[in-house]
Formats: sequence, C-alpha cells, structure tokens
Amino acid sequence: MNNSYEYDASFLGLLSLIKYLLKGKIKPYNIIKDDYQVDLFTNIIKVKVTKDEKVMDFFVSRFGSQTMHYVYYVFLSSYPNKEIVIYYYLLNYLKYGPKVIYKRDLKCVRKVLELNKKVGNEAHKLKGFVRFRELKSGILYAEINPDNDILELLAKHFMNRLKNEYWVIKDVRRKIICIYDTKKIYVTEEDNLKIIDEVSKNEIMFKDMWQDFYHTIAIKMRKNDRCRLNFMPKKYWPYIVEMEDER
Amino acid sequence: MELKEKLNILADSAKYDASCSSSGSMRKGEIGSAHISGICHSFSADGRCISLLKILLTNVCIFDCKYCLNRRSNNIKRAMFTPEEICTITLNFYKRNYIEGLFLSSGIIKSPDYTMEQIIKTVELLRYKYHFGGYIHAKAIPGANMYLLKKLGSLVDRMSANVELPTEDGLKLLAPDKSSDKVSKIMQYVKNSQNKNFVPAGQSTQMIIGASRETDLDIMQKAEDMYQNYKLKRVFYSAYIPVNQDKCLPSLITPPLKRENRLYETDWLLRYYGFKVSDLLDDDNPNLNILVDPKASWALKHLDEFPKEINKASYQDLLRVPGIGVKSAKRIIKSRQYFRLEFKDLKRMGVVLKRSKYFITCNGKFDLNKEFLKKEFIEANLVLGEKANSSSNIYQLELFHE
Repeated sequence: MNNSYEYDASFLGLLSLIKYLLKGKIKPYNIIKDDYQVDLFTNIIKVKVTKDEKVMDFFVSRFGSQTMHYVYYVFLSSYPNKEIVIYYYLLNYLKYGPKVIYKRDLKCVRKVLELNKKVGNEAHKLKGFVRFRELKSGILYAEINPDNDILELLAKHFMNRLKNEYWVIKDVRRKIICIYDTKKIYVTEEDNLKIIDEVSKNEIMFKDMWQDFYHTIAIKMRKNDRCRLNFMPKKYWPYIVEMEDER
Repeated sequence: MELKEKLNILADSAKYDASCSSSGSMRKGEIGSAHISGICHSFSADGRCISLLKILLTNVCIFDCKYCLNRRSNNIKRAMFTPEEICTITLNFYKRNYIEGLFLSSGIIKSPDYTMEQIIKTVELLRYKYHFGGYIHAKAIPGANMYLLKKLGSLVDRMSANVELPTEDGLKLLAPDKSSDKVSKIMQYVKNSQNKNFVPAGQSTQMIIGASRETDLDIMQKAEDMYQNYKLKRVFYSAYIPVNQDKCLPSLITPPLKRENRLYETDWLLRYYGFKVSDLLDDDNPNLNILVDPKASWALKHLDEFPKEINKASYQDLLRVPGIGVKSAKRIIKSRQYFRLEFKDLKRMGVVLKRSKYFITCNGKFDLNKEFLKKEFIEANLVLGEKANSSSNIYQLELFHE
C-alpha cells in the first residue's frame, strides 16, 4: 500500500510532519497537501503533530540555516512533489552532512538546486518587472502572476524600498494579496480586501511618459527580439505596462 | 515645451550611452534603496536592459564631436530640463517600479563648470529634499573644477567619464574639443577618493567601436590600462551607430555588433578569467577572430597546454578551458574536495562538454576518441557550434568582410 502523509499546506506544518517521520524512521510514499487529489491505491494517513514556532528552531539547530533556506525556496516553488523532495533532501543531510549539497548524483539534490535557482531567479526578475499603478486613494497597486509563490519575497524587497508608501500586491494565480501600511506587511486572501481599481489623475500621464520613454530608448539599428524575449519572457508581459501595445 | 516632449528629446539624445548597470551600492533612503546586484526593470526592443532613467539634462552642446547626435552643427530640436522636472519624473517612475534610479548625463552647456553645477543641483534635490535612496549614475564633465567633482562624487553611486576613443589620434579626428588628459584626471581623482561614501559603485567608461581606425589591440590595451591604473568597475564598448554623415566617419550599413560582442568577451576574460591582453592579441594579430570566441581562439593556439585534468587542475587552469566558466570552475573546486569527478558530474554542474571535451580529462580519460584531438577538427567544431547558436545575419555579413 502507498502510504501518503497529509499536512496542512503550511511550511511549519510540513516541517512538523517531517520531524515526526524522521524520528519514527518512517519512509512515506508521498507527502501531500490536504486538498491533494489522490488515486485509489493511495492510503492517506493523517498524523496529529504539534505545530509551533519551536519546530523551526529545531530544524535550524539540526540542519543549519543555509539548509533551511534551500528547503524554504523549494517549498515556495510550484513543483508538484516538492514536499517529498524536501523530505529526501533532509534525510540525505542526516547521512552526509552539509556536503550533501555537492552530491549532484542524488536526484533530490539536483531538484533542490534546480528549484532554488527557479524560485530565486523569478523573485529577482519580478523585483524589476512589478509595475505599480497609483490609485485614486494614493495606494500603489500591482498585480503579478508568478509561477512560484514569491509574494512574500517581493514584499520584503518593497518594504525596504517603498517604506513610506501604502502599497498592495496581488498574486492573481494564488488569489492572495499582500498589504503594506507603512509599518507592517499583511498577507491575506484576496476576498478580504476590496480594491477600487480606479487610477489617480497623474497615473495616466506618467504611464504615458514611461511608454514613450520605453520606445524612445531602443536603438532601431540594434533591434533584437530574441534577446529581449530571453530576458523578458512573454508570460510576464500582461502585467508590464510598457508592453501594452505589443501583447 | 511640455514635459513629455522634453523627455522624448532628452531620452533620445541619451540612448547611445551603453551603461545601464545599477549594481554595487547598498544605499538606503526614505524612498528608494539600491540593490547590491542591481535590478533590470525592463528590456527594450534592442534587447538592452533598462534599469535607469537614462536622460540628458540638456542636449544643447558647445562641442562638435563628429559621431554624436547632439553635436553643435546638427540641426535638431534642443531642450533642457529643470532640476525639479527631473526629480518629478524620477520619483514618479521610481515609485511605480519602472526604474532602479537615474542616469544623468548632459551636453556641455555654457561651460563644463556650469554644466556640472546643474547636474549637482539636480542630484542634491533628489538626495536632500526628496531623500531619494535609489541608484544615481552621473556623468562627470571633463574640464570641470575638481571641487565640483568632489561634491558630485559624494552624492552619486556611480560616476563616469567617457574616453570615447582609445587613441589620441582618434580623438583629434572625431572629437577635436575633447582631450584624454581631462578624462584621465577625473579617473585618477575618483580612484583616489573612492570609498563607501564617495562613488560607492565605482567608476566606468565607454569606448565607441568602429567609428575610427583603432584595432582591437588598441581598444583592449586602453581598457586594460584603465582597469589597472584607475580601478574601473566596467569599460563599455558601444558599436558605432551612424547617426551623422561625415567624411571622417565610416559609412556603415549595420553597426559592428559581432565585434562589440567579441570585445565584451575579451573584457570578461581580463576581469574574471586571469587573462592579459598580451595573451590574446599582439601586433601580428591585432584583431580578434570574429568566427570563434577569444578563449577558444587562445586554447586552439595553445593546444600543448592541454588537456587539463579536472580532478587536479588549479582554479586558474580550469578557467582557461573553453566551456568552463567562473561558476562551473568554482563548483568543480568545491565538489572535488568531497568526491572524485566524472564526466556525468561535470554536465550536471553546467560545464559545456560540447566545447570542453577536447581540452579536459577526468581521471586520466578523455570523453572522446583521441583521433578527434586534431587542431583542424576541434577548430571546425568550435566554429560550427557557434554558428548554430547565432541567429543574426550581421554575423554572416561580417564573415564576408573579413
């Protein structure tokens, strides 16, 4: 029988479950979120684990903060079996220690590296590609549609950068929003905030100026669409305001 | 004149400056912060990154450099921003996350000192009145008073002065109002004063490629000289775009983009791979091979120094192998402390075996039959490999020019 273990979709929930599995020397067939669609041959096991902040301290002291950083980025990725990747990576860490990250012959290590690159790259790219528009209320509002769950990483970046502004970023794929009120960040489901998406008077003027600037700055004799697409893939275009007329 | 029209004119006049990097600073302000690795915010139709609001303060200029759109003798629309106008655009673009900061350059209006004072006024407003902590790259105006340079340097993240042409002859011919002494003086000053409060992201410069008769050797020697003497962060190479007709200028149909690309590859070899210009170019071979990249070209001339054993070679030696970059060389060094490496491991580390297999062994073994280790065969394969990757017709054109 395929024994799959269920967790509550949170990072701490996953860590708590993995701690339970590692302690009991249990090898799961898979680790799944509570809304995961499973086939008939899968036996779902629900374990009551105590989930609290202390589990994070346990993992950091046992595996080191670098490892937990790797693991967290895997968790933010959209890879369907990321949980079992994390489990096997940590299991191998227990066997090999910190040098496990260099063992690229292990599939879980390759996956951890690959997903870290993906998540890190997308977060970095979006730090540039996010476009805010100024609403009538003065709030800056942006929508994103990233492959990975990077909203929190972005929010931390903008908290430094636009620290005296009110801003909201919405992940349209995951239907979550991040609100910043010049002091703190709040992450919540989109239904909890009604956004009146009417832009300020100045907004149209500056958007217009930016679009002009974007076209002016290109050197016609150097036109290179392939190069542009490499750096700025089409999937991001719907939310990049200067690409409006090329979408 | 409307602000929008001014922006169009003064962005159009600024776009031939290649630099747009925004890395190397960790400044923080009430609005804005610099990011140590820099951030690209968009990419224009030519594939170049847009990171900074790249504009001129004015395109009015008392100089008459042959290659420049803004030269005195050109009949074009002229405009000038007020410092407040630049602040308005910068801050509004910045808070919408269009840009990482400002790149402010200018034509020479009235005098170098006056021009520099206007640039300083603008940057002072941004930093002191609006507490802007985003990235600012400003041009230093050659010939301006040193105390102005000191003032500007304490406000910006990066400062640059363009040498434009690598030799004095080139300058005399195409930019008679400019002198390389004045640019060197700026570079010397910035080098001596640089610290975390003065031009923290360092200085850069630019050379125009293909407007004058200089060889790649001239260009790279000048670059190497500047990297060594003035500790420049970057030298930019900008393929000459024919914006003016002039009997002193070559009549080009396409800008020499492939040549520019080869020069950048060489620049990387100097900065990150431990190469010297004399390894790659000399009086008998003063120009880079357009067909094959400079590292492969070097390796083909030094086949006797290969193969390198992956499990033993030093970091510096690994960097000399075509198909091994800085990242993969570091990974090899790190990984082999723990495990003996084989070819399948190299592939997983990002080593390009297609290029490197002629130059390396793993545990004494090649990844190919030794009869393929002939120079002609390797050369043909390295050239063909590049051809497959290159989609631009410019490449084809230049093939016939050679």
